Amino acid sequence: MKQNEPSQLSHDLEIVSMTLASQIQSQDRGDFIRDSIPTALKLLIVMPLFAILVQLFRWATGVSAGWFFSWTSWSLLTVAVPLTWLFARVLTRQVEVSRHRALLAADKQIGSSERIATADHFMQRPSRDGFMQAAVEDAADWVGRAREASLDEESVRRSRSFLSLWPIPFAVIGLLIAAFLTQYARVPLAGDPSLPELSSVADPISIAPDPSQPKQQPNVEELPDPNPEKEPPPEQRSQRAVNRQGSSGADIPDEAEESSGKLSEGETRESQQSANPSSARGAPSTSGQPSKSGEETKRERKPKKKQKPEKEREKKPRPQEEKPSGATAGQGSSKGSDNNAAPSDWASTSQAATPDDEDIEDEEDVADEEEEQESRGGVQPNLRDRRTPVNRDLQIGFGNAQPNPDANGRGGPGGQKKSRGVASLVLGVPIPDRVNGQPNKGRIRITQQRITPEAEQSDPVAAQDRLPRQGSVGPIHHPDFSPWLQDFVRRYFLERRAQNPLQASPPENTTSTTPQDPLQTSAVAESDTPQS
Amino acid sequence: MSSSLSVDNPEAARQAADEFRTVHAAIREEVSRMMVGQDATIDGVLAALFAAGHVLLEGVPGLGKTLLVSSLGKAIHLTFSRIQFTPDMMPADIRGTNVLQENETGGTKLEFQPGPLVANLVLADEINRATPRTQAALLESMQEKQISVGNRTIALEEPFCVMATQNPVEQEGTYPLPEAQLDRFLFKLVVGYPAEEDYRTILRRTTSNNEVALNPVSNAETIIRMRQVVRSVPVPDHVETEAIQLVMATQPGSEYARPLVNEVVSLGASPRGVQSLILAGKVRALLDGRFAVAGEDLKAVAPDVLRHRILVNFHGMSDGVTPDDVIQEVLK
Repeated sequence: MKQNEPSQLSHDLEIVSMTLASQIQSQDRGDFIRDSIPTALKLLIVMPLFAILVQLFRWATGVSAGWFFSWTSWSLLTVAVPLTWLFARVLTRQVEVSRHRALLAADKQIGSSERIATADHFMQRPSRDGFMQAAVEDAADWVGRAREASLDEESVRRSRSFLSLWPIPFAVIGLLIAAFLTQYARVPLAGDPSLPELSSVADPISIAPDPSQPKQQPNVEELPDPNPEKEPPPEQRSQRAVNRQGSSGADIPDEAEESSGKLSEGETRESQQSANPSSARGAPSTSGQPSKSGEETKRERKPKKKQKPEKEREKKPRPQEEKPSGATAGQGSSKGSDNNAAPSDWASTSQAATPDDEDIEDEEDVADEEEEQESRGGVQPNLRDRRTPVNRDLQIGFGNAQPNPDANGRGGPGGQKKSRGVASLVLGVPIPDRVNGQPNKGRIRITQQRITPEAEQSDPVAAQDRLPRQGSVGPIHHPDFSPWLQDFVRRYFLERRAQNPLQASPPENTTSTTPQDPLQTSAVAESDTPQS
Repeated sequence: MSSSLSVDNPEAARQAADEFRTVHAAIREEVSRMMVGQDATIDGVLAALFAAGHVLLEGVPGLGKTLLVSSLGKAIHLTFSRIQFTPDMMPADIRGTNVLQENETGGTKLEFQPGPLVANLVLADEINRATPRTQAALLESMQEKQISVGNRTIALEEPFCVMATQNPVEQEGTYPLPEAQLDRFLFKLVVGYPAEEDYRTILRRTTSNNEVALNPVSNAETIIRMRQVVRSVPVPDHVETEAIQLVMATQPGSEYARPLVNEVVSLGASPRGVQSLILAGKVRALLDGRFAVAGEDLKAVAPDVLRHRILVNFHGMSDGVTPDDVIQEVLK
C-alpha cells in the first residue's frame, strides 16, 4: 500500500545523506592521508639508501660522477619520492559513500538508534504497514536534528596513530653519508677507460688521475699529511713499488715491504689498496707509517697472527673432504683434523658427513676453537670425538636394576647391523629384521626389509660315510638295571678307585675290561643276563 | 480486548506499541514488588514471554530464580505449574498419562490425566537434575506447543512458556541439557547476586510479617495480543543482514567466523538463533519507543540469545574461553 509520500522528509533525507556523504568523504580522505604519512615517511629512507648503494658502486667501479650523483639531486629525490607516492595514492583512491552509510553516520552522530536510516529504507519500499509508517514519521524529528548537526569528526575519525618521525633523521643521515661518499669517493683506477671523460667533468672532487702521473693528489687540503717530512719523493716510491727493495727497506717491516707503497697525501688506504690490485691480497699494509715503534710493531703483527688460522682453514677442509679418514674425527659432526684424530674402533668408511652436521660446523666459531687448541699445546681432537659410543646393549634379560636408557642396540660399527629387537623374539614367525642404518645419522630411522626366507643349502651325508662317535658320550642311563644292582656297581667302583686311584679308568673302559676281576666279571655277567 | 491485531495505520501502531509498553511496565512493576535486585533478569523473562520464547535461568541457589517465575505466574492471570525435576522422574510424570478409570456403567476406560506440563507457565525447577529421557519430553512441547501421549496429540494452550532453572555449581548427579534442548530456549539468563542496597530491601520484605501479595495485572489474552504486536515490528534489511551475519559469525568455518571462533567453537548458533535474535530485538525496540529493529537491539540481546547456542570445544575450555567471550569477539 503506497501511502502519501512525505516529500519534505524525503527531501531532508536527501540533503542529510549528501551532506554526510561529502563530510565522510573528506574525513575519509584525511584519515587516509594521515594513515599514509607514516609509510611516506618511511619512504624517505629509500632514496638515501639507494644513493649510498650507488655511491658505493661508483666507488668500487669508478664510474664517472655526473650530475646524477650529486647530493643535491639525491636530496630532491628523497623528498620527491614520498610526496609522489602520497599524491598518487590520494588521487587513485575512490571513496564512494553510499546513502545508507551516510544516514547511518547521521544516526550515530545524533544518537537516533538508526531511526533515519530505517525510515529511509522504509520510504523506498512500495508499501508500508502501520509500523513502517510510524517509523518514518518517528524519524522526521530526528532528520531535522541531523540537518542541523554537523558530523562530529572525533566520533567518526579513527584514533590517530603515533606519528613516528624516526625516518627523517635516518634519511638525513643517509643523505649525509651519500654526500660524504660523493665527496670522498676514491680516485678511479689508472688506465680506466673512463678517465678522459672523468677529466672532462667539471667536478674537482672526482678528477681522474693522469695515468702518467704515479702519484695522485686529490683533496690535498681535506686530509692532512700524517708525516710529511718523511714522505719520500714520488719517484722513489714508484721505484720501490716496482722493485720492492727500496733504500729504506731495512726500516720497513716485512708487512710493509710486501705492500705496494705508502699512502700518498690525501689518499686513503683503501683507495691505495684498490688502486693496486696486485697487492690487495697481501698482508695489511703498513705504508704510511714509516716510523715504527715497538707498540706499533706489535699492533701490526697481531693481524698476521690471526691470518694464519685463516690460511690453515682454507687449506684444511680440502683433504678432509677428499680423503675420508678412518677415524671418527673425520666423520659426521667431528671437527678434528685427520692427522691428529685418534683412530676409533667405530670408524667406518660408509660414514659420511650429514647436512645437519655441516650446519653445525658452520655455526661454530672455528677460529676460537683453533686458538683454544693451540693454547692447549697443539691441535686437539674435538671433545665431541670423545663421546661414548652408542651402547649396543639391548637390555634383554633380567636383573638389571638400572637399565641404561641409551641401550637401544642400534650402535655398532657396520653400516648394516643386525637387529636383535622384539621381532626376532617372536618365534615361528619368519621376520628377517635386518636393519639398514648407519650410526649417528641424525634421527634414528629403522628400515625393515621383508625378505622371503630361503632354505640353506647343505650337502647331505650318507649314513655309511659317517664315522663312529669320538669322545665321551656322558653318563648313560640304564633303565634295565635294578636299583640294588646300580648301587652295587657304584660301590664296587668307588672301592676300586679308593684302593688304586691311579688305575681307575673311565667308566666306558670298565665295560670292556678283561675279566680279571671276578667282581667285575660277575657284575657284567649279571648285567647282561636278563633279570629274573 | 480482541485477540486479533490489525496495524494498518501509524496511529494503530503507536497505540499497540504504547499498550505493549504499558502492559510490560505493569507486569514488571508487580513482579518487582516480590523480586528485588534482578531487574535485568525480570526484563529478560518478560521479553521471552512476549516474544513467545522459553527461558533458561542459571544461577547459584538462593538468588530467587524460582521466586521470580512463580511471581510472574501470580502477576499474570495464567495457569501456572511447577515441576521439581529429580533423577527418578519419568516423562509421564510431566506430560501426563492415560489412567484406567471406571465409567458410569461399571466398566473401565482409559482417560488422559494431564501432567504439570499442560499449563500456560511452567516452571521446570532444576531441569538438569532430570534424566535426558525426561528432559527430552519437553522438546515437543517447547517447539510444537503440543504433547503426544500414546496415540493422542494434545495441543497446549497459548500462551505456553517454559521457564527452567538450573544450578551451575552442583554438577554432581545432574544431566547437562542436550544441545537440541538448549536451542529451544530463547534466552539463557545468568542470574547474578544483587547489590548491597537490594539486600536490605530483601531482608525487610522477607524477614518481617509484611507479606507481599501479588495481584494479576494481565491475562493470557493480553499476552497473546502483545506477542502479535511484537511480531508486527518491521525489520529493515540491513538489520536482517546484520543478524544473519552475527549468527553465521558464531559458526566455525563460516564466511564471517573470526579466528577465535574457528579455534575454540565446535558448534555455533542455528537458524533458530536468528529467529530468536530478531524476536528479542523486536521486544527491545518496542520498549525503547521505536517502531523498527535497529542494530543496537541485536547487540543488546545477543549475549542472552546466543550464550547457550555456542558450544566451546575442549581447547577453548582449557583456555578458559566462555561462550560470552566468543560473543563479545563476534560483536566487535
